[in-house]
Amino acid sequence: MTRMTTRRSLLAASTLAFGLTALPALAQDWPTAPVHLFVGFPAGSSPDTIARLVAEPLAEALGQPVVVENKPGAGGVIGVQQMLAQKGDGHSIGITINGPLTTAPRLIPELGYDPQADIAPVGLIATSPLVLAVSADFAAQDAAAFVADASARPGEISYGSVGQGSGAHLTAELFAGEAGVELYHIPYKSYAEVTTAILGGEIDAGFMAPSGALPHVEAGTMKMLGITSATPFAQVPDVPVLAGQAGLPDDFRAELWNAMIAPAGTDAAVIERLNGELQTILADPEIQQKLLAIGWQVQPGAPADLADRIAADTEMWGAVIDKTEAQQ
Amino acid sequence: MTTLEGLAHGLSVALQPSILIYSLFGALLGTFVGVLPGIGAMAAITLLLPITYYISSEAALVMLAGVYYGAQYGGSVASILLRLPGTPQSAVTTLDGYPLAQQGRAGVALFTAMISSFAGSLLGIAILVLMAGWLASIATQFGAADYAAMMVMGLVAASTIGSRQPAKSLAMVVVGLILGTVGTDVNSGAPRFTFGQTQLLDGINLVALAMGLFGVAEVIANIRKADRHGPPNRVGLRELIPARDDLRRICAPILRGTTLGGFFGALPGTGSTISSFLSYALERRVSRRPQKFGHGAVEGIAGPESANNSAAITAFVPTLTLGIPGDPIMALMLGALVIHGIQPGPMMLEARPDMFWGLVVSFGIGNLFLLILNLPLIGIWVSMLRIPFRWLYPAIIVFICLGVYSVRGASFDIVMVAAVGAIGYALALAAFSPALLLLGFVLGPLIETNLRRALLVSRGDPMIFLERPIACGFVIATLALILLPLARRIRQGRG
Repeated sequence: MTRMTTRRSLLAASTLAFGLTALPALAQDWPTAPVHLFVGFPAGSSPDTIARLVAEPLAEALGQPVVVENKPGAGGVIGVQQMLAQKGDGHSIGITINGPLTTAPRLIPELGYDPQADIAPVGLIATSPLVLAVSADFAAQDAAAFVADASARPGEISYGSVGQGSGAHLTAELFAGEAGVELYHIPYKSYAEVTTAILGGEIDAGFMAPSGALPHVEAGTMKMLGITSATPFAQVPDVPVLAGQAGLPDDFRAELWNAMIAPAGTDAAVIERLNGELQTILADPEIQQKLLAIGWQVQPGAPADLADRIAADTEMWGAVIDKTEAQQ
Repeated sequence: MTTLEGLAHGLSVALQPSILIYSLFGALLGTFVGVLPGIGAMAAITLLLPITYYISSEAALVMLAGVYYGAQYGGSVASILLRLPGTPQSAVTTLDGYPLAQQGRAGVALFTAMISSFAGSLLGIAILVLMAGWLASIATQFGAADYAAMMVMGLVAASTIGSRQPAKSLAMVVVGLILGTVGTDVNSGAPRFTFGQTQLLDGINLVALAMGLFGVAEVIANIRKADRHGPPNRVGLRELIPARDDLRRICAPILRGTTLGGFFGALPGTGSTISSFLSYALERRVSRRPQKFGHGAVEGIAGPESANNSAAITAFVPTLTLGIPGDPIMALMLGALVIHGIQPGPMMLEARPDMFWGLVVSFGIGNLFLLILNLPLIGIWVSMLRIPFRWLYPAIIVFICLGVYSVRGASFDIVMVAAVGAIGYALALAAFSPALLLLGFVLGPLIETNLRRALLVSRGDPMIFLERPIACGFVIATLALILLPLARRIRQGRG
């Protein structure tokens, strides 16, 4: 009995001692194994491209391979779930779009995680605004005329989105709410379908990525009436910002973003290291150019900035979801 | 640039040694992954994607395209020899290919599949070159109501294939339709029949369903024969050549299949699985010997195989002319182009003629290569049957698991394929047709989404299905499909 107690307390003491000395060492030596970067979208998608652009220089900086793990599904939520399901030893991190961290708790029952409690923000990577696109035949030439048209015939102008609660849907509802008009929502499954529907005249409008609309604008079959970023966007510099015009407030802004995250409880030193490497990578003009070519503006920041962004967007989109739910 | 100039220019691009090698490599890899049950073009292209960052955009595109159409060739091999479709779109080839193999005519069945695939691809290329602009305008004119009416017609036309008992056929179609409702409701965003599983929010994985119903079920059915192996016949070149009678029978189905596939391939969101099912249904309807279908009719191989290959070529129409990908694999290829800084869209033909014409010519070269490659391979494929089942089947299960997992990296799907396999075996014992379940599953979500979307567009007015000329045409055709046999029966009854 005594021997057992002794042995047990010895064991406890040694674990404690080992733990005390091991903890700081862990952060210093990290990473000790390949880092798995979870992405909730398939290969070839824009979050995946961003992840691969970041993964290569990150692997070089960390001295360990960075393996991109595509776990697509449920609007990126499965990627976050899979990251959280790994053992939390700091070697499983993720890159995700805004949805799984902001609107998912409202839209997906049995989400299985709480973005506030279970996610440690590492840093914002890049943002992408959406443009208000209409067919070239549509009468309105600018956002003010579009809003005037919409208020003259409430609920008649239709727009497509990539699904109930998607960024495209909520952005359109935010826009309609701020402009004081009523638009008619028709959900599709992909931007490809929305684009086809606008070109074919099945719907009038849609909020979509500038890079998606641009080829059709150049071909003369589509036009862009405004953009949801706070300042003009480098990829389409001629498209006017929506903020401050057509009855919209000056601080109107709706952007999609991609960010790097880790499971909550990841060593603070690891988060700091990752954030530092991320900022270095994003400072590279070549990476910035490559991201811009696929429609993303680099937007580096501290982990706390990302936490603020998550909180602000959760509130903003939450209010829009409240409004659309009340309408149903 | 005229078509001839374009082709000449394309030839100069596609014959560059580096482009040629990537094209042939892609086509070869495509055939290979097509043969392996479960592992398809999607998995291979995903694996190749990182490589494309380091090669020229033309080389990247012809290589990935090669994988895409190459997989259409390989898919039929295991369907015919083992009743294990290599890809979902070749599931329908099991219906007549496997009976032919059982009759010792595996060589003829494979030859028919290869030659039909080649002819379908070649004619598909002709459609792409001559009618790309017209098909692209059709693709944008097709609205939700038109899609809904067309798919309903397809469902009615195809709902009797592969089974002799109408009640059992209908039951399978309905089960397929019900399985197709699993996932997020597009209009409301509400989860349906997901039982709290996030993995089911995007619906049941098509590859897991197809591989379970056909692949795993077939393996279970063969467990009792574990010591045996297939007919140890050696296939010489002579056995490959179909009888003059067979050749005569496959010409018309190839032409019809190509036309059907060429049309469906160009429509975003439909694609090659639907094309092969509808082609089979069409052949059975127009055949003068429908009773032969399901017992080794070469027409039942020629039609679907030419249709899915033709569809794989014309699937590039919306992708290249509008920048709109018709299926997830096309989206993946577009992603590869975007990485190279090329934004595919309506201007691509003018801005990057080398890309468009180079790709078109590489289709021709790649398909010719596949034909030359595959004909001698038939003998080797058939000799695969001499591998004892106790070695062959465990290997197949491994490939199925790999393939299903590769779609989206979800271990959930492996559990799914096992469960579906058990159900599929039970269905086979009770003589229910898994092909019809798959048909309902593929068409159901398309019909539902487009029907509800059409009613949203029309603000609830069902007249949209009669007011739009395209939709109205399909509604009339559907009614004819239902009423004509009825009328015939009534007349016969009176007589």
